[in-house]
Amino acid sequence: MAVCIAVIAKENYPLYIRSVPVQNELKFHYTVHTSLDVVEEKISAVGKAMADQRELYLGLLYPTEDYKVYGYVTNSKVKFVIVADSSNTSLRDNEIRSMFRKLHNSFTDVMCNPFYNPGDTIQSKAFDSMVSAMMVQAS
Amino acid sequence: MAQCVQSVQEFIQDSFVPMVAVLCSEDAEKVTRKNNLNFSELLRPFCRLTSEGHMRDPSNQLQVVKNLRISVNNVVTRPSVPSSGVPGHAHRRLLSEVVLTCQPAEGGVANVITAGDYDLNISATTPWFEAYRESFLQSMPASDHEFLNHYLACLLVVSSSEAVPVEKFLKLSQEQHRIQHSGEYTNPKWFIPNTLKYYVLLHDMSQGDEQRADSVYEDMKQRYGAQGCYLLKVNSRTAAAGADEQIPDPWSQYLHKSSLQSQDQYEDPAPVVVNNTAVENNVGGTSEVDGHDSEEKDGVLVNSLDNTHPLQLDTPSDTPGSLDALRAVAVETKPPPLTTGVAAATSHGACLTLNDHDRIRLFIQEFTFRGLLPHIEKNIRQLNDQLVSRKGLSRSLFSATKKWFGGGKVPEKSIAELKNTSGLLYPPEAPELQIRKMADLCFLVQLYDLAYSCYHTAKKDFLSDQAMLYAAGALEMAAVSAFLQVGAPRPYPAHYMDTAIQTYRDVSKNMVLAERCALLSAEVLKSQAKYSDAATLLIKMTSEDSDLRSALLLEQAAHCFINMRNPMVRKFAFHMILAGHRFSKAGQKRHALRCYCQAMQVYKGKGWSLAEDHINFTIGRQSFTLRQPENAVTAFRHILTNDSQQTSTQQGAFLREYLYVYKNVTGACEVALPQLPLPCINSSATRVYFGHERRLAEGEKQAATHVSLDQEFDRDLAAMWQDLEEQVVAAAKRGVVPATFQSTQCCLNSQTDNLRFPLAVVEEPIIVEVVFRNPLKVPLVLSDLSLLWKFTLKDFNRPQTQEDSVGDAVPISNEKEASVPRTSQKDDVIATEVISEFYLSPEETKLARLKLLPHQTGQLNILGLVYNLASTSSTGDTTINSTAASQTEGPSAAEGTSVRGRQDLEIQGPRLNQTKEEKTSVSHGPDRRLDPTITPPMPLLEVFFLQFPTALLCGEIRKAYVEFCNMSRVTLCGLRVASTHPDFFTFGSSSLATPLTPLSPTSFENCSAYKTLATPPGATPGSVAAVTLVSEGDFGSGTGLRGGVSGAGTGGKGITEIPLGEGTLKPGESTQLPMWLRGPDQEGVHEIHFLFYYESAEKGGKISHRVLRHTVFICASRSLSVRATACRSNTLPEEEEEERNGSMLVFVDVENINSSEAGVREFHIAQVSSSSKQWRLHKCINPAEDKDCKLTSRERGKLCFRATRCKPLQVTLKAAEKYTFADLSLGNELIITSTTPCADFFFRRCQPLESLRPPVAMETQGRHSRSQGVGHGGGDKDIAGVVRKCNEVDLDIIILWKAFVVEDNKQVILEGQLHVALQTIDKEACSLTPKEEAQEMVLLKFKPELPPPMTRPSMEQLSHLIKTNLQYPESYSHPFNQKSLCMVPVTLTLSNCSLAQVDVIIDLRHKTTSPESLEVHGSFTWLGQTQFKMQLGAQEVMRVQLRACFLHAGVYNLGTPRVFAKLADQGAMCETSQQTATPALIIIINST
Repeated sequence: MAVCIAVIAKENYPLYIRSVPVQNELKFHYTVHTSLDVVEEKISAVGKAMADQRELYLGLLYPTEDYKVYGYVTNSKVKFVIVADSSNTSLRDNEIRSMFRKLHNSFTDVMCNPFYNPGDTIQSKAFDSMVSAMMVQAS
Repeated sequence: MAQCVQSVQEFIQDSFVPMVAVLCSEDAEKVTRKNNLNFSELLRPFCRLTSEGHMRDPSNQLQVVKNLRISVNNVVTRPSVPSSGVPGHAHRRLLSEVVLTCQPAEGGVANVITAGDYDLNISATTPWFEAYRESFLQSMPASDHEFLNHYLACLLVVSSSEAVPVEKFLKLSQEQHRIQHSGEYTNPKWFIPNTLKYYVLLHDMSQGDEQRADSVYEDMKQRYGAQGCYLLKVNSRTAAAGADEQIPDPWSQYLHKSSLQSQDQYEDPAPVVVNNTAVENNVGGTSEVDGHDSEEKDGVLVNSLDNTHPLQLDTPSDTPGSLDALRAVAVETKPPPLTTGVAAATSHGACLTLNDHDRIRLFIQEFTFRGLLPHIEKNIRQLNDQLVSRKGLSRSLFSATKKWFGGGKVPEKSIAELKNTSGLLYPPEAPELQIRKMADLCFLVQLYDLAYSCYHTAKKDFLSDQAMLYAAGALEMAAVSAFLQVGAPRPYPAHYMDTAIQTYRDVSKNMVLAERCALLSAEVLKSQAKYSDAATLLIKMTSEDSDLRSALLLEQAAHCFINMRNPMVRKFAFHMILAGHRFSKAGQKRHALRCYCQAMQVYKGKGWSLAEDHINFTIGRQSFTLRQPENAVTAFRHILTNDSQQTSTQQGAFLREYLYVYKNVTGACEVALPQLPLPCINSSATRVYFGHERRLAEGEKQAATHVSLDQEFDRDLAAMWQDLEEQVVAAAKRGVVPATFQSTQCCLNSQTDNLRFPLAVVEEPIIVEVVFRNPLKVPLVLSDLSLLWKFTLKDFNRPQTQEDSVGDAVPISNEKEASVPRTSQKDDVIATEVISEFYLSPEETKLARLKLLPHQTGQLNILGLVYNLASTSSTGDTTINSTAASQTEGPSAAEGTSVRGRQDLEIQGPRLNQTKEEKTSVSHGPDRRLDPTITPPMPLLEVFFLQFPTALLCGEIRKAYVEFCNMSRVTLCGLRVASTHPDFFTFGSSSLATPLTPLSPTSFENCSAYKTLATPPGATPGSVAAVTLVSEGDFGSGTGLRGGVSGAGTGGKGITEIPLGEGTLKPGESTQLPMWLRGPDQEGVHEIHFLFYYESAEKGGKISHRVLRHTVFICASRSLSVRATACRSNTLPEEEEEERNGSMLVFVDVENINSSEAGVREFHIAQVSSSSKQWRLHKCINPAEDKDCKLTSRERGKLCFRATRCKPLQVTLKAAEKYTFADLSLGNELIITSTTPCADFFFRRCQPLESLRPPVAMETQGRHSRSQGVGHGGGDKDIAGVVRKCNEVDLDIIILWKAFVVEDNKQVILEGQLHVALQTIDKEACSLTPKEEAQEMVLLKFKPELPPPMTRPSMEQLSHLIKTNLQYPESYSHPFNQKSLCMVPVTLTLSNCSLAQVDVIIDLRHKTTSPESLEVHGSFTWLGQTQFKMQLGAQEVMRVQLRACFLHAGVYNLGTPRVFAKLADQGAMCETSQQTATPALIIIINST
């Protein structure tokens, strides 16, 4: 289960960041922000021609001592970043993938909302609750 | 990794240089001391050899040694670094000192790196890092596993002044031998057992005897050989003599940083003298002092910012504490350290001339090429021979046995050694070490090929022995020498380095070596553009044990990220922040601040607010502790202005800290008031109001609403008011609106036209409403809030010459006064109101109204606001205050939470969008809202209403009073009022002043609003009509069309001039006038606007006029509905012949449609009056029996009247314009309708029709022009006119009613009047104008509407041309048995109603088409001529004698004659059947 989930706009400003240990919020902000470099590197590595067939899921961006950072980029260059606890070994690649897929679906729903102004921070309750379901339950 | 000054090769070469020790006699030391140097220091600047050296390698190849450098050091027996690999305090402090003194140059050139959308300003070089690296490598301790920094040679220095120099040499030589071989000292490590000893005789030119020195030198040459000794002559001059001569000081940069005075006095509270000792570690070094000092130093470094996580904001709980920390720092930094002159700039080499410099250089060269290199060459050869001889034997045997017996397994002993790595120590003479030794030697003299192969061999040996430390050393050097090989025969083995680092760190726990290795490797990787690997390497090397190292390495890692092919900006920023944090922990505040600032560039304005806030906060704190309060303020400002996502406690802490810092800034320097960031001001929403605040009610008086700040701006309303004002100005200016007309704006906001300078009047307040928004989650308190202004005095009364206006234009401002709260701010010019406290709750938007009262005329500019900003006292705050108050600086700290500052009000005008340039560019017009011109005094009108109702019945007449007050010191005149509903009110007619109406409201209680007369007793109600003739002009309410004709009373439509006593209102005077109101005809709520217009009696002011607005809401409820119809009477009047034509019947249906059951009990029709130019009511035909006509709810009554034409004699030219009022009272009171309230409202009734409904206006215009239509021209138009005329009535009926209303158990009689305009015969007219749905739902027509075709008069209209009347006896007796035919004479009277000639055909034949008529009428026939053709002149009456023949007795209808008529001159038109007369019944009686 994730400890931090972030949605980042094409222009690399945060649309949504949620992390479970609230007191460490700043740290996660820094982590997610730094991971954008890796995301960009991975995207640019695919190359222009193959950009269409590119898989949205980018895999593990980088591991830190405590966390693993996974990335996912939609076709419209919106980035999803999931930070998971390194100690959580039960988390497989497939599960991360399905989490991203769920996140993407929910994000699409948000975008389809005619009252949502693209580029604003996401305040949808449905999205929020979906994210909460994916998070580690803070104890 | 940042760019370096040195190339990689240079850097590595310089890192490993041959080491030469120095042993000096005391006398020689004295000689060098003259120059403030010891011997090794003296040589140091000259240790790099500029010329090439040559030597032969073991294979006898000649090799060139280029750019060699040697390192000369005094022999130090005390270990400088503990063998554990953890650098000591002194060492650490030295490094820290080095980094500290090396700061980026102020305003140094920074590179702009563009990565993606980021443009970063980064200094490409990091000199502090290079300095650190250099001193780090130089201070590397010698270790056993390698020989690189072991001493190769020893210089024995003896002064020539020594009594017996040779003896001294001997002593020194012995000492050297003792140090090296006795085993007493472990520390100075020696490369080779037989160290090269080089004998130097130092001769002081200024003192000693040169010949003696020469002779001693000769002696030495004999003894030690020419290549083993040297005579060095120095000190060619005395120190005093050399003082004035400028000689370059090459030592300063070598005896660097450490001995120089700390650049920044604030940085280090106690710049310690120990600096020199670190380098100057003589044999008897002052170790105690060292240790003591370093402890102290470390104590300083552990400051408040220590022990926090790099990515942790201060938790709320410790914020007060951190604030205290800030305070503590502030206090601490206040007294500048007095330790300035400690290490005062001592000049080195004062006694040395340039010649001496050259001598020293030559000496070094001589020593190196003659002494050192041959020594090395010899040793390499020796070692090589040794190794070659031994290789074949022991090595291979050894390894072979290992292979066979060990079976590839690591011997158990080795495993144990692995665990205890330092355990395995080769004896100094071990063969493995000999290889290593040879490799090192080769490396030092740049024989990299040979060195590599040796290292490689050594590495294998060490690895097979599991001697990890040795192996790591060999690996490291193998990699380095592989890299340095010319032509690079093999790629750089990076994995060697990685293994080496890992081994150093994990196995040997020797961080110093690991660090050295990492530094080398990173530099090599950088040169190969492997930035990513370099960064990883550097980051791996960060650890908790040394903040300084971690900081520097992290910074270099950050530089690696930014230098990558695809720059990783965010990683750069992140590592910069980490580096900044470590720097601050290491006490390197300046570096920390620089790191944070560089990282800030990446995070700035990208929406990562949490991170941005954190950085800003840190920058703020660091800047503050570094005494850069301006920067601190800017940084803190950022945290507060941005839409912060921080928690409220966090914000509160930010705010407090900001205020505290700000206080210190402003306290320090007396500058203009600072701009405050909080609260946010929505400047475009600023509203400005000119004038006094209105009292809405004063007792029973109700003031005019006018304009107030509480009203919302409404564009439509504003347009309406402007329109009204334009009308009234036009009326005042005799019909012309002046070109310079500008509507008065009392309240300016973002939607009004603010292009002009608004006009304000002296002695009248200006109120500025400012919208504050508190963006924070903590409350804010503003105190002593007031406006800032600038004022230029101008006298508008004086004739304005140009030089005059320039002359006295000295702006006055309250800026200076406002900076100190609670002082009078030039109140003689403009009184400034101060709001003492203004509280803003969290995230609240609140308005503040600030008042200025100008006392002088001129030009005012409102600049902004000035206030004290404070956070409210929360719990955290009070604790601070209490603790602060207990301290000595109590008062200042208590006030520390409040800061005085200003915020400017700058309003951007609307965007210009007129011309093409304006459309394509973004330019904004001016907004002069805040720049009012103060003009000389003007009259100020206040209007009060008394007894003004809020609800009325439709048509109800009510009397109210209005009071006009002139509040100013100037006389007022030209009072007028314009209204949207001019039919709603009247002030009465001035010419017909009614003395009967009581003038004061108190005497007016239940009195009727009307002027009444008691009906003469005995007279039947409704039988007599009182007739009055009145001209419309008397009632001051001319319809717009006639405006020009009538006199002063009329203006435009809806404009009324208010009859003031003398036309003026003196200062302070007030006057009361009666005012009649009439409920609107439509039910519902009506919004009625009044605009009072007035001028100053003194002409020529800047303001031509002023206005006062008033809006009332009147709720009108339904009263009566009146329908009236006019018919021609067919009966022939008995009276005079003339009147026959002009009689008409008027039926009036009155219905009570009032829906309120509680209120109105019943309506009485008191009187019916008529008003017309041609007709008048004559009498009531059906007077009710009970006199009054009462109508209870939903009841309906019918009244019938006869109307006659006015007397023709009255229809003179003059009287044509006059209206005839005929009153028919149904009660016992006669209301004279031709007087004030009633006639006024009658004349006002049609105005809304004209102003509101243009199509209707056209119709009415047609009505008015009817008189001209006759006789003019011909054709269709004429016919239409004629025909219409013939059907027109133009009679207005006025119904006067009384309503009995129960109100609070009291019966109240209300009065009212309704108007019905009869226009056409037989057409019903109603008092209620039909709902104007058509008006609202007009179809959009895109084509201009075709003018309505001049239609022919309709059949219906034409059928009214001729009025027929049959005259016959009502009953006729005829003896049928005597005479079977009964003949009755009948007279058919035809009267032409029109004013034209009409052809008439009378057909008496029965219609055969209709069978029933046959049946009914078949019984009688007309006799004689059955068809007549005749012509009737205008209004001619003609009689035709007819005879009817009856056969039987009975009742017959004689109305069978059909009359056809057509206008005489319209040949083509066929005749139209005229309206049949009503049944004319005749009774034939058989008279037998």
